[in-house]
Amino acid sequence: MPSLFRRKRLVIVLIGFIVLVALIGFSIRDRDSLSTPEKFLQDAVGWMQTVFHKPVSLVDGTIENIHDMFDVYEQNKVLKARLSEYKGVIQENQRLTKENNELRDTLDKTEGLSDYSPTQATVIARSSDRWFEQMTINKGEEHGIEKDMAVMTSEGLIGKIKSVGAFHSTVQLLSGFDRSNKISAWVVREDENEDEVFGLIEGYDDETGQLLLEGIKLDEELKEGDTVISSGLGGVFPSNLRIGTVEDVVNDQFGLTKTAYIEPFADLFDINHVMVVDRSVETIDTENEPEEDGS
Amino acid sequence: MSRYKIALICLFLLIMQGMAMSMLPASLVYSDLLMTPHWVLIFLMIIAVFYDKDETYNAVWYGLAFGLLVDVIYTGVLGVYMITYTLVIYVIHGLNKLVHANFLAASLLAIVGVTLADTMLYVIYSFVQITSMTWGDYGLLRLLPTLAANMIFFILLYPLVKERVHDWSEQVSNV
Repeated sequence: MPSLFRRKRLVIVLIGFIVLVALIGFSIRDRDSLSTPEKFLQDAVGWMQTVFHKPVSLVDGTIENIHDMFDVYEQNKVLKARLSEYKGVIQENQRLTKENNELRDTLDKTEGLSDYSPTQATVIARSSDRWFEQMTINKGEEHGIEKDMAVMTSEGLIGKIKSVGAFHSTVQLLSGFDRSNKISAWVVREDENEDEVFGLIEGYDDETGQLLLEGIKLDEELKEGDTVISSGLGGVFPSNLRIGTVEDVVNDQFGLTKTAYIEPFADLFDINHVMVVDRSVETIDTENEPEEDGS
Repeated sequence: MSRYKIALICLFLLIMQGMAMSMLPASLVYSDLLMTPHWVLIFLMIIAVFYDKDETYNAVWYGLAFGLLVDVIYTGVLGVYMITYTLVIYVIHGLNKLVHANFLAASLLAIVGVTLADTMLYVIYSFVQITSMTWGDYGLLRLLPTLAANMIFFILLYPLVKERVHDWSEQVSNV
């Protein structure tokens, strides 16, 4: 009899191994959408997460509010000083927008790459495994969310939509980006006379917590503090989304191009409310363009 | 009845795992140390030790179901947590026959279980290139902090559920 048991156990182990490999193979490939059972589970658990999230975030928020109250006075002083500057900027901005619209009208070109419509969402959970830099938000297909849309906070870009359920979706954070999630970007220099520099964000450096902007031409001189924004040329993201500032520039391993280290504007860890950005100009089908960002 | 209660507690812990990552202070959860909560696994190991008899394998089935749920909700790579949790709970169930069911033995089993589970996750995720940590980094930055964080949770959870789980077990065997 013992030999029978051992054989049974061996068969179970083998079946388990086959199931494991099959499931990993099924789920790790680039899928356009989740399978129906996955969507169902994600939504079902999502509802429960929302129920628990409300009271917990209330307590969390109250503690934070009390904490904030202590430095309100100092902040107020600084903000008042800044307010006068903003008035001038707003007027200039309005004037420029108007001028821009008029010029667009004369060109019969109404849609720009920078136009987008935002959807507000709340973060209800984060992956419990730190190797997966992703989180769940409480908006899904029913609210018009689609795969590969850009996700940002008020400070800047934080990631893109990885998968969507009916009422919830999963966001892949910038810190989990690799070569298969490129973002095409412009570096805007402080000196206004110089042109913008093109580069691709191709990954994240775990040690420094900075993004890697690669493919910069060798003869371009970047300075620390230059701003990086999305270019909108990748086909999925709108342009002018703020990404980060240049911290350090090094030559790449072959010495043909330069790589810049980018400090993201947004805090990638303490995130509560996000905006999912749907660009107005038609998105290029990523199926045919595997090299574009978000594919 | 007790079966549904166990499932509900597992579900609650599963949701809290994700909640903890977004609600606890970022300086604690997102330092260089990669702490990973395995709360469902800890609870299921208590079930394996105090609820299951030698010939029942309830905890293993729960491990299969809730491991898959962790995969779907938190990682998106199916099957990894499922197989890991199932196997680890099966091993713990087997080891449990060798020791007396008391706090010391249970915590020893919990240490073995969490270490085994997290190492298995590391091996599988290295194979599919989700992580590229070296063994040394993994041990220092992920395994030890994870073990410490989960043992704190075990010590908090144990007095809360131990008697209850034991009672449920008695009830089931009396019926």
